[in-house]
Amino acid sequence: MADELKKRHHDGHDGHHGHGKKGRKHHHHIDPSIKPGSAKYVWASVSHNKGALFGMTFIIAIVIASLLSPYVCKYSYSATDFVAMKSWPSLEHWFGTDDLGRDIFSRVLYGARYTLIIGILSTALSAVIGIVMGAIAGYFGGVVDSCIMRFLDLFQAFPSLVLAMAFCAVFGTGVDKCILALGLTSIPGFARLMRANILRIRSMEYIESATTVNCPTWKIISQHIVPNAISPIIVEIAMTISRNGLASSSLSFLGLGVQEPLPEWGAMLASTRNYIRDYPYMVIIPGLFIVLTVLSFNMLGDAFRDALDPNFKD
Amino acid sequence: MIKYVVKRLLIMIPTLIAVGIIMFTLMNFVPGDPAQIALGSGVHTEAEIEAKRVALGLDRPFLVRLGEYIVNIFTKFDFGKSLMDGTDIKWELMKRFPYTAQIAIYSILLTIVVGLPLGIYTAVHANSAGDRISMFITLLFDCMPSFWTALMLVLLFSLQLGWLPSSGAKSFRYFILPTIANSLGGLAGFTRQVRASMLEVVQSDYVTTARSKGLPERTVIYGHALPNALIPILTVIGMRFGSMLGGATIIEVVFSIPGIGQYLVNSINNRDYNACTGGIVFIAFTFALIMLLTDLLYAFADPRIKAQYVSSSKKKVK
Amino acid sequence: MAETKKFFELKHLTVKYHSGSSIIHAVNDVSLELNAGETLGLVGETGAGKTTIAKSILRILPENSVESVDGEILFEGKEILDMDDKELQALRGKSISMIFQDPMTALNPVKTVVSQIAEGYKMHQNCSKAEARQRAIEMLEMVGIGADRADEYPHQFSGGMKQRVVIALALACSPQMLLADEPTTALDVTIQAQVLDLIRDLRNKLGTAMILITHDLGVVAEVCDKVAVIYAGRIIESGTLEDIYDHPTHPYTCGLFGALPDLDKDVDRLSPIEGLPPDPSVVRDHCDFFERCPHACERCKKFDNQMIEMTEGHLVRCWKANEEV
Repeated sequence: MADELKKRHHDGHDGHHGHGKKGRKHHHHIDPSIKPGSAKYVWASVSHNKGALFGMTFIIAIVIASLLSPYVCKYSYSATDFVAMKSWPSLEHWFGTDDLGRDIFSRVLYGARYTLIIGILSTALSAVIGIVMGAIAGYFGGVVDSCIMRFLDLFQAFPSLVLAMAFCAVFGTGVDKCILALGLTSIPGFARLMRANILRIRSMEYIESATTVNCPTWKIISQHIVPNAISPIIVEIAMTISRNGLASSSLSFLGLGVQEPLPEWGAMLASTRNYIRDYPYMVIIPGLFIVLTVLSFNMLGDAFRDALDPNFKD
Repeated sequence: MIKYVVKRLLIMIPTLIAVGIIMFTLMNFVPGDPAQIALGSGVHTEAEIEAKRVALGLDRPFLVRLGEYIVNIFTKFDFGKSLMDGTDIKWELMKRFPYTAQIAIYSILLTIVVGLPLGIYTAVHANSAGDRISMFITLLFDCMPSFWTALMLVLLFSLQLGWLPSSGAKSFRYFILPTIANSLGGLAGFTRQVRASMLEVVQSDYVTTARSKGLPERTVIYGHALPNALIPILTVIGMRFGSMLGGATIIEVVFSIPGIGQYLVNSINNRDYNACTGGIVFIAFTFALIMLLTDLLYAFADPRIKAQYVSSSKKKVK
Repeated sequence: MAETKKFFELKHLTVKYHSGSSIIHAVNDVSLELNAGETLGLVGETGAGKTTIAKSILRILPENSVESVDGEILFEGKEILDMDDKELQALRGKSISMIFQDPMTALNPVKTVVSQIAEGYKMHQNCSKAEARQRAIEMLEMVGIGADRADEYPHQFSGGMKQRVVIALALACSPQMLLADEPTTALDVTIQAQVLDLIRDLRNKLGTAMILITHDLGVVAEVCDKVAVIYAGRIIESGTLEDIYDHPTHPYTCGLFGALPDLDKDVDRLSPIEGLPPDPSVVRDHCDFFERCPHACERCKKFDNQMIEMTEGHLVRCWKANEEV
């Protein structure tokens, strides 16, 4: 019996015919001692993500630039100059001037606040309302749940842009109205997410045990359900900011959101689009800022998704 | 199958009635006197305004008007008359609908033709360079406002190259740029959804079974994984089609296409609340119809759902 | 010392997965051999690496989580790990086929059962669609499913029926070797026996060699000729059915028998093996079973993990095995 398998002593790992197939390279190298799911892990993962780093840097830079722009820019965002109308980008006017001779650089930087404020506040509004509605629907179930869900169905009977337009028609124009319109429009996303979370968590054991020891309802919600539901909500928040920022510029472009002479990026495009043939920079530059801002929030959201939910990876 | 259609219709109708009621009510309480708007700018005497109110039927109680509005929509598909020029809103909408529908249909076709293969490719080659590049480019598209994309396309293809017209809707050529502009944003989301759905299916046990039978990889992917991945994608396509319809509104404004969207934006800006309500309810109707068709297709494609409704006569053995 | 080609041989199979930033050592240096028509029972706890071994043989491991597959897998002298796609496709289903653990998810939900069976047969036999369908219906009848149900979808079948379909599918091309991965685990107790009988009858009828993966020692006793006990990705004892059942030597094997209810004796309680298997992401420099072993001592820490031959063909990976004999 000279069969290798039946040799009295087997050799170890060495000397084998190699068939190693190189595995996938990992995108981030996080200290394995950090537990997935912990705040530290999330931070480590997000800060290792190039897209997220770009997003964070851009957002912080644009916020600071927008806040400082009235003090550091040479020109006011609203100052017209009929001598320097429609001048191409130069050292004097970095991004050129528009049809009324206003400095586009000052306008773009100042105008960042509208997209950011509308995007963030409308998201905050919808997150608060949506999370409460979803939590109530999911926790109580039954008739309450059906009522809330049927109500949300009404929101989803329209394409979202049309719904936002309808709200704008009702409320009128302006930054506050725009926040309200977009805030209402994005409620269902949060509500459904929260409801699904609650239903999932409710079926888990530790909630059952909390119920049996007679924990008051509010305590169950605040101590058990909310912390567990938080990660998908964070992702949804980043994505909604990105979406609503985009929508606010769309509404303003249509004349339904923020209006001229305020330098909201969409409104700027609406007023200068007729000059696209001869002065394309007037249209290209504000649009690029919309793209970069929306992209920043989007990549942050993606990074959080990867960090918070390992299931989304691969 | 008929049972299923009926069931879906019964769910759809109350939603549509509620949409009609809410839109009518909201618009009714919007500041601004419709009679004043109907009379146009300029100074009008109290008597003139009062006469217009009576002519428009605004002197009657709110609930009566609401009831009449809803009944007219559901029995005669009648949305009333425009405040601005007194035209029949139904005919205005019907006249404009083909333009909007064309944009939406071309857009969804483009999305499917590009997004489906791209989604499958990126899923099958997940984490490859091609996957990453495609995902980044589609993400970039996703972050571009469609009206800006439209303007950039006009700048390049109409103004610089002179290949395609920048406004109007006279022939198919006129729809090429609007379609691309309307599709690019949604394309990204669609590709990602196809990719995610496909990735999930590719890892499922029955795909491993198919592979273990000795089927070539092509058959495993296209014969076994794809049909399963497509089932949830059908719903996604329906939703995308709906949002393409919404996206068409903004595209119509950029390209001066006389569709529903342009009509809606004009009537909001003119505070023509009748036309505005009509346009929005009309879009909700179309949207609901698309979702209904999607659900029916879904039920048809998935034998598990189909079986519940088709074989009520055939014995179902558990 | 016969130099004839072995029917099937596994030499030093080592499989690693990557998960997050750590490497999982799923299978460590596993060697097996099987003669034509023989049945080997692969016994071990959940997570011991049994399924990984079976999937490596057909090369159907999930590609994006596999770090490396090393060693040799020889079928009739041919190295499976070196096969190209064409050879591999010809092997899968025709020469070696597999019965999966969970019949609920192993069948494609949007295809009729008959088409799923016929598909593989048509490809391997290069026959007409009608012939393949005929064969598929025969196979279904062989596992006790009437032809009238052939055109139904998997969701219309119960779990036991689905597993019959899976078996029919695996045997459609009369493979020389069958990998049965816990074929009865996901089923009701009452159905388990039926399915097991079916597998045994078909094996006897068709003369198929089989690797039966299970954690159920009762099943092994009924069906197998040889047994390999696997722990933490390593074979810790192997031999004939009699070797293992009558002379279990490794403390883990003994523990497995201790954890088995013995109906002949009136024992008050079963004695489960204390503790959990070791973390597969940690490379160990002592015996894998060290932490749970009731006989562990200082010398076990320096154990070189070598197999020791007790009697001819009965191998044990425990240095104490010799001393005790």
